[in-house]
Amino acid sequence: MTNIEKYTQAFVNAFGVDAESAKALKYQDIPAWDSVGHMGLIAQLEEQFGIMMEPDDIVDLSSFEKGKDILATKYGVEF
Amino acid sequence: MTLEGKTAFITGTNRGLGRAFVEVFAANRANVIAHARKETPEFREFLNDIAQKNSVTITPVFFDMTDSAAMRSVVRSIVMAKTPVNILINSAGVAHGGLFQMTSMEKIHEVFVVNLFAHMELTQQLLRYMMRFPHGSIVNIASISGLDLKKGNCAYGVSKAALIAFTKTLAAEVAQSGLRVNAVCPGLADTDMANLMEAKAGAEMIARSAMNRLGQPREIAEVVAFLASDAASFVNGQIISVDGGRA
Repeated sequence: MTNIEKYTQAFVNAFGVDAESAKALKYQDIPAWDSVGHMGLIAQLEEQFGIMMEPDDIVDLSSFEKGKDILATKYGVEF
Repeated sequence: MTLEGKTAFITGTNRGLGRAFVEVFAANRANVIAHARKETPEFREFLNDIAQKNSVTITPVFFDMTDSAAMRSVVRSIVMAKTPVNILINSAGVAHGGLFQMTSMEKIHEVFVVNLFAHMELTQQLLRYMMRFPHGSIVNIASISGLDLKKGNCAYGVSKAALIAFTKTLAAEVAQSGLRVNAVCPGLADTDMANLMEAKAGAEMIARSAMNRLGQPREIAEVVAFLASDAASFVNGQIISVDGGRA
């Protein structure tokens, strides 16, 4: 599985959406992506990529695209 | 009650209640990650003896609770090694007694860092990792001093009161993720911490206990082990006093 596939799968697992819908998502766009759902997503990402995210980055991860940017710049994940 | 198949991360295990927690958790078949500030031969020997006696794994980890970087490094090594953590016992603490006007802000800050902020920080670092494993449980070791606030408790008692408030808040936040969070409030127990108290203050605390005696560390540890176990699977956000009752 490539990194973008793993990344997308984290959203699919966390929010129960399909992969195509996941790519356009922003925080609180859907009921599942509330604050509790957000922590579920972070747990998925940390497990998928073997990382420990900083609280500031957890707050900043406000969309699918923003999350890719954070993981790439802060945690060395290549997409 | 059994803790077989679970791993418990316990802080402040080189003496006092933390030491009893290691003994009781190991006796209930839990593997233990035993935290202490400093490594000593005596501590190593203690852990080896308990591990052998109970056929469990006890892994010592060392860091100062006020050293965020060191704490993070230890947590990272646990996560990277994929060592499961099902249970977190926030037990490390520092005692202090004194009237507010005789207590420096520096001292109050120091007590809060160890008794509250360090627990919050370790919990925050381990929380999402713990969610990967089923039936997670966090037990914060508060104090009867955090419930029964008396004069002279502006630092220790207030820090424990805040830990109790943190326990209730966190319990509500993470219950849906499968984690339970509870706190135990020991009365005065037969530990080094009790011996450091002024004799008069200690006698007053004992007199306020209906059983009119010090608690034994094991009596506290058994309750903590129960809360950590699946036997307490519907107990969440509770503050349990283990103090012999109020006189």
